[in-house]
Amino acid sequence: MPTDAELWDALGTVTDPEYPLSIVDLGMVYGAAMEGRTAHVTMTFTSVGCPAIEMLVTDVRDAVGRLSGVSEVDVAIVWDPPWNKDRISDRGRKVLAVYGVVS
Amino acid sequence: MTNTVYDPLEQALIDRIKGGFTVESEEDMTPGYKKALLTQLTVQGDTELMSAPAYYLAARDAPTINSRIAVTAIVHDELGHANIAYRIMEDLGADKQHLVYGRQPHEFKHPYGFDQPLENWAEMVVANGFFDRAGITLLGDVHQHTSYGPLKRALVKVDREEVLHLRHGESWMKRLAKAGGEAKDALQRAVDWMFPMTLEWFGLPDDLKRHSGQLDYRLKGKTNDQLRQVWMSATVPLCEDIGIAVPAHFDEAQQEYAIDCPFPCQYDPEAKRWLFDEPLTWEQVFERWKARGPMNERYVEMVQGAFGSSFAN
Repeated sequence: MPTDAELWDALGTVTDPEYPLSIVDLGMVYGAAMEGRTAHVTMTFTSVGCPAIEMLVTDVRDAVGRLSGVSEVDVAIVWDPPWNKDRISDRGRKVLAVYGVVS
Repeated sequence: MTNTVYDPLEQALIDRIKGGFTVESEEDMTPGYKKALLTQLTVQGDTELMSAPAYYLAARDAPTINSRIAVTAIVHDELGHANIAYRIMEDLGADKQHLVYGRQPHEFKHPYGFDQPLENWAEMVVANGFFDRAGITLLGDVHQHTSYGPLKRALVKVDREEVLHLRHGESWMKRLAKAGGEAKDALQRAVDWMFPMTLEWFGLPDDLKRHSGQLDYRLKGKTNDQLRQVWMSATVPLCEDIGIAVPAHFDEAQQEYAIDCPFPCQYDPEAKRWLFDEPLTWEQVFERWKARGPMNERYVEMVQGAFGSSFAN
């Protein structure tokens, strides 16, 4: 069964659809834990009308589902607390600054 | 490739660019440079613009709300990208209003692929996976190499957004292949006509290339054949991974991708079928492109009619 760190590492490989930073660095993942062989991931999106919701959920399922000991991935999408740019990590901020997106 | 003899003024600019000079304004340009840049920007803007009506109609086939939102977001991006190209042209004296609303359908300079109807969800996502991959291949090269500063800066945003379109396409191609059955059959049928069409998009092979000056003025960095290879290096392994057949493979001896169908050849747009027993010369391909494809008038009408006749001039 994957450890919490392995779960977060797997989530860290799922990147934003446009910029080369992960959904973890964007602060979109609120929780990840194993329960038996099921991985539970709680995450949000940067807007309700985000065009990449299905694509990113697919990527999350693939990335976590690939870990040994995981037979099911349960992705819960939540809107509370709402995402804002303060949730972006320092590392993420540096990447985005290169493209002139956030300071 | 031929070696063109330039007049001293043009040659002086080419030499400066070779030394690392970035062109920032019209004063820095020669007539030859300006003409080549405007041609490049027209193709760029027209390609983005004509993808919008093609994708817009195909959004109807989206199987879920979020995938429909994705396609409409992509349409929105493409219109923005067209505006960026035309806006840069405006600084060089072009009339954006005329470019969008004043031209006849056959005067637009987009590739033949965007004269074709996208008639189901598989064709829509292969358009994202193949056509947008061609867009990124071409614009990524321009972004990296262009000697025109304003374009280089503008392409930062364009390239990032194109990545979303591409990922949307590839993600769905994988899903349709995985689903198997009719979904995978539809995907294969779409790939069958869209793969050779995108190969053609990159234009004349290098050994036949008429000299355009785009490389000498460093408006781009890679040749047509090099760009076609970059495109295949992404699309061929993707299709092989998901069990979709393509008429190309990696040739170990040559260390490059080889095309396994007659290329170029005739295309039947009604049947959406390549006629491999009817090889063409590139001159004949240019004639087919020039005659335009079945959706050309409809797509241009959709764009030009969007705000009624009040914008026409």
